[in-house]
Amino acid sequence: MNDIVEVNPGWALLAPVVLGLLALAGAALNGILVARAEGRSFRSGAVIPVLETARLMRQRRRTTVAADVLLWRIGCAGLVVTAVLKTAVIPVGPWVLADIPVGVVWFNTMDVFVWALVWLIGWGANSAHALVGGYRFLAQAVSYELPLMFALVTPAVAAHSLRVSDVVAAQQELWFIVWMPIAFVVFCLSVVAFSNWGPFATSASADIAGGILTEVSGVDRLLILAGRYALLTTGAAFAVALFFGGGAGPLLPGWLWTLVKTLLLLAAFVTLRHRLPAVRPERLAEVAWIIVLPAVLLQTLVVSIVVAVRG
Amino acid sequence: MAGHATRRVHVLVLEVPGWGETRMRVEAELARRGWAPAISPADADVLLVCGEPGQELESVCARLWSQLPGPRVRAAVITASDVASTLDRAVDELLDEASQQSDARTRSRRPAEPRDEIAHTEHAAHGSSSESTEPDMDMDMDMDMPKPGGIPLANGGPDRDGLEMDVLHVPLGPVLPHWPAGLVVRCVLQGDVIVSAKAEILPAAQPSGDGLVPDDRRPLADDERRRAVIRRSDAAASVLALAGWSFAAGRARRIRDAVASGTALLDVTADLDKLARSVARSWTLRWTLKGITVGECLAHADDGMGQSGSETVRGRLIGWLEEARRTARDDKAEGAYELQDPLALQRSRLGEIPRLLNGTDIATARLIIAALAIETAPVAQTPQSRT
Repeated sequence: MNDIVEVNPGWALLAPVVLGLLALAGAALNGILVARAEGRSFRSGAVIPVLETARLMRQRRRTTVAADVLLWRIGCAGLVVTAVLKTAVIPVGPWVLADIPVGVVWFNTMDVFVWALVWLIGWGANSAHALVGGYRFLAQAVSYELPLMFALVTPAVAAHSLRVSDVVAAQQELWFIVWMPIAFVVFCLSVVAFSNWGPFATSASADIAGGILTEVSGVDRLLILAGRYALLTTGAAFAVALFFGGGAGPLLPGWLWTLVKTLLLLAAFVTLRHRLPAVRPERLAEVAWIIVLPAVLLQTLVVSIVVAVRG
Repeated sequence: MAGHATRRVHVLVLEVPGWGETRMRVEAELARRGWAPAISPADADVLLVCGEPGQELESVCARLWSQLPGPRVRAAVITASDVASTLDRAVDELLDEASQQSDARTRSRRPAEPRDEIAHTEHAAHGSSSESTEPDMDMDMDMDMPKPGGIPLANGGPDRDGLEMDVLHVPLGPVLPHWPAGLVVRCVLQGDVIVSAKAEILPAAQPSGDGLVPDDRRPLADDERRRAVIRRSDAAASVLALAGWSFAAGRARRIRDAVASGTALLDVTADLDKLARSVARSWTLRWTLKGITVGECLAHADDGMGQSGSETVRGRLIGWLEEARRTARDDKAEGAYELQDPLALQRSRLGEIPRLLNGTDIATARLIIAALAIETAPVAQTPQSRT
């Protein structure tokens, strides 16, 4: 496999387009699953994201009494921006926009932004339900963030580098998923959690009238929903780079392999939503700190020992 | 674009006590059309009132209407057979650019002031009226306390861990997804923990004539069995939806809608079996509902909905599915499908709410209330409803 090279920064204009298309595919799959479950046709489900986009573009934005409008709007728009910034370090086949020496940390930094953004969405509306949604997300974030960090560190330890291209190159013989399954599962669940999705969507769930989504409408709502799919997509793409050997694969060109693997993982994330009940933050905290964190630490330890022994 | 924008309409349903069947028909119709139920006014294109609201519900309705972002349509439906035509009219109105534009011009651009405490989404931190604050403990702060938007800031109070935390007065209901019709639980919240609660039911203008299968005269026994299955699967769908398991909730809803639309009971038994099995087996559901109880009062009551005597939310859920299965399969199970719980029991459930909710968080409280499965209509029609 060829080494990963940085491409002309001009290609950065293409990154949001590709991200948008992949996220749209994820949303379409979700629509299909919803439609099939309700006994409607495949096609009527696939167009749901397009119809919802048109609906939300036509809908008016609203505001509430004494809303903190500036912070609120920053939160609403921020999720998409964060996801786009993540694409900078994600290699697609042999190409990457910015092969910075701390690519893994860059990805993690963007995750941490999500804490603030979701909280701002909950805070800004000056509404009790939205605020409770914000609380819930922070409670959940406290549970997933540390396991996520160790899950990110593990491939970096094995590759002796925080540079994403080095992590991909280190998997030429053996994909990291094979000998770091715990880190992989923890990473995937964390992606679902910071994307506010599926079993971890308690901050936007129906029991608090939509939580952080309670008061948002129109383009603001569109940006939040799109941001969720975009975060899921970038999470899937980063997992491909960290654990599935990036663009490695037979026959097809590297960039296509990256896209195919990303789509498959994204499909798995989307499907998860329809299979599992919600995991409430206080229940998650127990498991995350007592079982998951030690497990992923053990994974890091094992990987470190293997790396040290092999020199 | 407008055409695409109105092919997946979001409908906020305000169910008046006694119009449960109309609400279920609306949900079935939304699923058939590929529309979506709105989970809050901000999410809604159409505000659909099912039934004839009393005075208080009428004011809730006006309040919700002011919170719809627009383009918006308000519609009312009294009988289940009118649901489809009402929704058709609503789309036409949504597409009517002229009237939508004039609505946008004439409505106030500012959000409605919180003058009425009963609302779907209460803005944080205001007491029973926006003018009078409760006597404040921090007298020195009280003098120049800012009032953003005319809302006094929240007062502090000791929380369950002995720390001081802001106290919010937040009513839950009467319009929330998967919530008993007309029920309002006035809560005092610290964070998302309920410190005290008071329940009441906002009644309809008049008792409803909402028959279950009005266009079809079946023998009574069959009819009663249908109602029993419908009620239990509707209640199960609510609990499952609140537990965040949309897939299983959808299955329960489809069983309910199939029975309501006249499918033979024997034809749904296979689906009921499958659903009951997967609910009973799910360890994630067991884990997430672990330890949430609805109290002793129901376990020993002569209770049409909870005969298995289960006290936990999960136990009630499994019990309903079990009963629905038995009822659907066996017409000789006499008495296993009482139509309505005794009024006294309903009232005692309503009275139990403050005790059950004390110290729980909102997620747990919602599950408990859904598991109580209060039939608000008969309770609202009696003078004792104000407990």
